Amino acid sequence: MDPAEDWLVESLRLYQDFHAFDLSGATRVLEWIGDKGVFVAGYESLKKNEILHLILPLRLSVKENQGLCPERDFKVCHGGFSDTSVFDLKHVPDTRLLVTTGLPGSYLHVWQVTEDSDVIQAVSTIAVQEKEGSRWPRVAIFSSMAPGVLHGVRLSSLKVMDLESQKTTYTSGVSDSEELSSLQVLDADTFAFCCSSGRLGLVDIRQKWAPSENVSPSPGAAGGRWCAEVGGRGPGPSIASLGSDGQLCLLDPRNLCHPVSSVQCSVSAPSPDPELLRVTWAPGLDSCLAISGFDGTVQVYDATSWDGVGNQVEPVFTHRGHIFLEGSQIDTAPLVTTHTWHPHKPRTLLSAASDASLHVWDWVGLRAAC
Amino acid sequence: MPEIRVTPLGAGQDVGRSCILVSIAGKNVMLDCGMHMGFNDDRRFPDFSYITRNGRLTDFLDCVIISHFHLDHCGALPYFSEMVGYDGPIYMTHPTQAICPILLEDYRKIAVDKKGEANFFTSQMIKDCMKKVVAVHLHQTVQVDDELEIKAYYAGHVLGAAMFQIKVGSESVVYTGDYNMTPDRHLGAAWIDKCRPNLLITESTYATTIRDSKRCRERDFLKKVHEAVEHGGKVLIPVFALGRAQELCILLETFWERMNLKAPIYFSTGLTEKANHYYKLFITWTNQKIRKTFVQRNMFEFKHIKAFDRAFADNPGPMVVFATPGMLHAGQSLQIFRKWAGNEKNMVIMPGYCVQGTVGHKILSGQRKLEMEGRQVLEVKMQVEYMSFSAHADAKGIMQLVGQAEPESVLLVHGEAKKMEFLKQKIEQEFRVNCYMPANGLLPDAKKPRLLHGTLIMKDSNFRLVSSEQALKELGLAEHQLRFTCRVHLHDPRKEQETAMRVYSHLKSVLKDHCVQHLPDGSVTVESILIQAAAHSEDPGTKVLLVSWTYQDEELGSYLTSLLKKGLPQAPS
Repeated sequence: MDPAEDWLVESLRLYQDFHAFDLSGATRVLEWIGDKGVFVAGYESLKKNEILHLILPLRLSVKENQGLCPERDFKVCHGGFSDTSVFDLKHVPDTRLLVTTGLPGSYLHVWQVTEDSDVIQAVSTIAVQEKEGSRWPRVAIFSSMAPGVLHGVRLSSLKVMDLESQKTTYTSGVSDSEELSSLQVLDADTFAFCCSSGRLGLVDIRQKWAPSENVSPSPGAAGGRWCAEVGGRGPGPSIASLGSDGQLCLLDPRNLCHPVSSVQCSVSAPSPDPELLRVTWAPGLDSCLAISGFDGTVQVYDATSWDGVGNQVEPVFTHRGHIFLEGSQIDTAPLVTTHTWHPHKPRTLLSAASDASLHVWDWVGLRAAC
Repeated sequence: MPEIRVTPLGAGQDVGRSCILVSIAGKNVMLDCGMHMGFNDDRRFPDFSYITRNGRLTDFLDCVIISHFHLDHCGALPYFSEMVGYDGPIYMTHPTQAICPILLEDYRKIAVDKKGEANFFTSQMIKDCMKKVVAVHLHQTVQVDDELEIKAYYAGHVLGAAMFQIKVGSESVVYTGDYNMTPDRHLGAAWIDKCRPNLLITESTYATTIRDSKRCRERDFLKKVHEAVEHGGKVLIPVFALGRAQELCILLETFWERMNLKAPIYFSTGLTEKANHYYKLFITWTNQKIRKTFVQRNMFEFKHIKAFDRAFADNPGPMVVFATPGMLHAGQSLQIFRKWAGNEKNMVIMPGYCVQGTVGHKILSGQRKLEMEGRQVLEVKMQVEYMSFSAHADAKGIMQLVGQAEPESVLLVHGEAKKMEFLKQKIEQEFRVNCYMPANGLLPDAKKPRLLHGTLIMKDSNFRLVSSEQALKELGLAEHQLRFTCRVHLHDPRKEQETAMRVYSHLKSVLKDHCVQHLPDGSVTVESILIQAAAHSEDPGTKVLLVSWTYQDEELGSYLTSLLKKGLPQAPS
């Protein structure tokens, strides 16, 4: 029997809901807009890429009478064309604006989603720095009366730019040239950064540069790349840091120098493309994390009772759909490029892979908490 | 420069019924003749008045082509051919020809018997309509006349569905009807060669969607059936005899085998016989897998699926039953539904759209209390699941088809204009072609400008444009009519009536854009121009044509006169 069919039969007991889609191009972006819409964008270097605003299948959005709703498809609400590859996209809250970043890394692009047309319009291109080979600026959005874009390739080039005036309202002012791997705005005055080396910090933009920081992870992690995410629900640590060798550290923001725990995930390390590493906290479940970027799977972990250093941990769930269901290209094994949790359906995730597949899945939880 | 004109008569941007008029190099072809399932009045039929004002449909249209048997593509056909009046050829594939009349009759029964509609087409009309059908094979070039030829291509979607190429000389148009680019369990994917038509008219109802994979839809179906059966419930699946039923049977059989399930699966015998019959006839229309299994064994000799007996409906315990008809409007499926509706463990899975007025439509709208015959109220406690298995091309599929056919231009029909600008740009950029999206009744090119006669009245500082009649009335003036009359001499020794007849035939064949009539008194009219034949007072071998026109028709009048002065073609003996 064909392995895809086998897996589908298995999936009957593993998932409540499962939807699989084929995009016209693979995406590294899954950015929510509200709780019903999501943005995806292509990252090819030699051709035009599409930026799409997709509305979730109706069946996943209706609260009552789900059985009477046959609609299982994504609706393409808006679409736009980008000449450059898009590695990240951020929606500016309370506006119709989007900011994208990718290669070449010297520019950020601003787009507008309009009411009366389904075409996403390019608004402006902002030069942010000198071209630096394959490095591209990370972005995060400070949403306030006057939204600002936090961007930078290195700690030294970290800036906040006012979107409307395009004036710089904040600079890190340091000469430290460590490369950034992720940026995350936490509130109106604070942001978190994570460098490729694993160095983490929380910065208050009202003060001169003086972040609370961790100590870079042990030499054993030399050569590896790291990414991090602040989030987490429940009493435990709220910062997760993932390394390309499969190490996952949990930290408390009040004491970044001493991680609460450090575990070894059950993944085939090292990751073939550390830029795709992603760790996310479940917004609807306590101490629950998801990781991807090692292969064609997304793994869900329950971090409730983690402690110590170096323990091997097993996921509570592994999504293998991208491996078993053929995407557009069947020659190379697909690699999950990104994943995200649904804002309020506790066990629903979206995941995308290098074969242009996009899955929406709702896994069956085996234990009460996670 | 190719002259191709496309007029959607229904559903141009009105999802619900398909009927498209194409004019190509002087030939007129009607593509599909569907009805809008959402309306109960005249709005459900396409607007044929656009064509009928040009004269008789049979004279105007060179042929009608029907893409497949779904009612939104053929539902108005008997009305069109028998009630409005069309006697020309109607082309469709063999499976469509076999299945259309069944669906039309079903639909007629629902409309007349269930909803008590008057002025609906009769069973005899359906039969008479089908007599005008000329069935075609895939990839067979069919000569409609000396200049017009058509060819059918495989469209997937449903059994017998085809895309059609219409060719006149070097100009061609391809119409897709409904199609899909991904194969399913019983049908292949649509395919067309690099025929490079001037225009590709593509179905775009789902152009702005990204379709969930077939496998996930099937998974959902299996999950629902499995859960219901595990809890001891009975599952009813109302189906039309063909198409979806076979697909779902194959799916369940495979699943039952794999999971070693014991609950019985039945399908009504009517279904087996009909299905077997049609599949044997049209085996070339199904996909490779089916053909193989059919060759090895009778496709409907399933290990786990048995023929149904109405007594089984009362058996205790779980079971799955496939029964006709598909919309729960009569017959076995309705009977079973009535028995099982009161138990919440049971489930009914509707695999497709249901026409208004049927029980299927009511329960899919959420109704839980149904009024049956004799004012009996049926309470529906069973779970109602609406699943859509229909296969349509999404944005990706449309791009694939455009890539295969390589047209010069693309026309997107049945979509929502405001939401298709992105797709339009995508097609234009990727393939470097023009892409259009018309609304119902609007053309990509301009309509003929019409001359308006009126009078401008200036009074005080007031301007008004009114009709001449009204102006005359207001000003208290009498109307004077200016008429011109011209005499044209013709050599014709026959009687005046015969000359008049010759004039009529000649003008009728030459002036295709105008209304030419032969009146009972022997005179001929072209629009409002009057032509009368009289004998010459002195020479019996000569006839005098009196051509008379009003001032407003000066241009046409002069043209007619010079035309007649050239003489008439030799009359056949």
